[in-house]
Amino acid sequence: MSGGVTRRPLIGLVIPAAIAVLFIAVPLIGLLAHVDWSTLPAQLVSTDVLTALRLSLECSIIAVAISLVVGVPLAYLLARSSLPGRRVIRGLVTLPLVLPPVVGGIALQTALGTTTPIGGVLQHFGIVLPFSTAGAAIAEAFVGFPFLVITLEAGLRQRDEHFEEVAATLGARPWRRFWRVTIPLAAPSIAAGAALCWARALGEFGATITFAGSYPGTTETLPIAAYSSFEGSGDVGTAITLSLVLLTISIVVLVVLRDRWLGALR
Amino acid sequence: MTLQAKVSTHRGTLHLRCDVAVDAGVTVAVLGPNGAGKTSLLRVIAGLVPIEEGHVAVDGVVFDDSATGAHLTPEARRVGFVFQDHGLFPHLSVLDNVAFGLRARGLDRRVANMRAGEWLERVDLASYASSRPSALSGGQSQRAALARVLVTHPKVLLLDEPLAAVDASGRLELRRALREHLSNFSGVRLLITHDPLEAASLAERVVVLENGRVTQEGSFTDVTSRPRSSWIATMAGLNLLRGSVSGGTFTVDGGATVLVASDVSGPALATIHPRAVALYRQAPEGSPRNVFQLAVAGIDPEGDRWRIRLAGTIPLVAEVTPAAAAALRLAEGGDVFAVVKATEVDVYSV
Repeated sequence: MSGGVTRRPLIGLVIPAAIAVLFIAVPLIGLLAHVDWSTLPAQLVSTDVLTALRLSLECSIIAVAISLVVGVPLAYLLARSSLPGRRVIRGLVTLPLVLPPVVGGIALQTALGTTTPIGGVLQHFGIVLPFSTAGAAIAEAFVGFPFLVITLEAGLRQRDEHFEEVAATLGARPWRRFWRVTIPLAAPSIAAGAALCWARALGEFGATITFAGSYPGTTETLPIAAYSSFEGSGDVGTAITLSLVLLTISIVVLVVLRDRWLGALR
Repeated sequence: MTLQAKVSTHRGTLHLRCDVAVDAGVTVAVLGPNGAGKTSLLRVIAGLVPIEEGHVAVDGVVFDDSATGAHLTPEARRVGFVFQDHGLFPHLSVLDNVAFGLRARGLDRRVANMRAGEWLERVDLASYASSRPSALSGGQSQRAALARVLVTHPKVLLLDEPLAAVDASGRLELRRALREHLSNFSGVRLLITHDPLEAASLAERVVVLENGRVTQEGSFTDVTSRPRSSWIATMAGLNLLRGSVSGGTFTVDGGATVLVASDVSGPALATIHPRAVALYRQAPEGSPRNVFQLAVAGIDPEGDRWRIRLAGTIPLVAEVTPAAAAALRLAEGGDVFAVVKATEVDVYSV
């Protein structure tokens, strides 16, 4: 309600609010101002950029797939069952949201590194996660998966079990109810959660570089490549191009989510 | 085939405790005010709500039995449930909705769709087969929900307030269609409603449920002509007095007496039709009839009959014409004398 009293905003609030907007906008304008539009097309299709882009897509899609396979069941159980220790589990799942990613990377290294018991077992089967593409995907999943679980759980909670009950009276057993009723009705939340998870995985830097390093073509994803060009080789032009790609993807995700799904979660 | 449900269970503050038997081929309406436990009763029969004590069975097939701990899952009961909101799946087409139960029972898609299509034709919805349920009107979605249940040939058909989600203009037509489908269904037919008209028009037998208990059952005419609770009396538009009778004098609980023409004795109920209550401003003279001095508590105009609510030793409702109400200046309130002939009081044992 914007009544008559609040229609004329306090000047004292307008100034800091304007600073807040500029705070976000100015760096983005700076980025765009430094784009060399004449060489941009050539840079976009350069092997360095394409390699990083391909790797980023690969890792982030694997990360989303991992998150879906384990995150959907978890969100369902959190929302619909009287799972013991539900609150503790929910807290644990939320932790990667606030945990500094580098801590996540170190944690993964200490749990799944080649010298650890789990890492040893994996190595026995020829799987080495640290400093591998699979490791980069695991690190991205670690950071992105809470977005999926939290979004989906909220979506499932929004609807009661009415349609599952209808399905039961029509003769549908629990698994059929899950696949034919629960999942399709939760599809918008699953899509929104997966998109958020994907966007987070795509931008993942800290956990990935700590756990998987930055090997071009193997673990050097877009954000890591942007950082390496900027800091290491001083190739600011490539860094800006890579940043522009990431910015564009972020904006697309934001726009799509805003119109199609986030509205349903409000 | 008979459905037998003797149940006791708590839902929130309500204690549902009732014993209902429904024979196949007779439509039974559970009639009662909102919050009486009607929906809970249906949900118990469908297996969606557990019972604390009791026994639910259809023809020897035990659904629930608290003595043995038996509980059959809803999907194994073959109980068709038409929900109040119809419960059509919003993500499926109307055809897929109707085919859902058949597919759940293992029929392949082609056969299921064919049978669902036949049922859509029977309920005049063939042209909506590929539509989403959101494209249907209230009456159409009710018919689709009914088809979705009947196509699976359930043993028991449960309808929760079948006409509640349908606008008034569609009700007459839907009521006719519903009657037809009900009479073609040979299993157990149980519907719940708070609307007496719905009970009267769709059911052959009425079970009145109030506050979790059955207060009366029988044909609609029997129930409404001899009400056993004030809710039924109000629904039937009658004044109901509770008390005891002996030697032609009915003593209302609270002390007032009414002369009656009846040889019933003992605890009894009495009804007086509002039109049998005559009103005067002055006490009528020289008459052995029942005269009560009462205060005008309210007036509800209803067409050419105004219902006058009277308060005092015997709370009564009287019906008078607007002209009589004007002549008696009832709108001014104050006391009136209500006169009831002994022969107009219907007395029956509790």
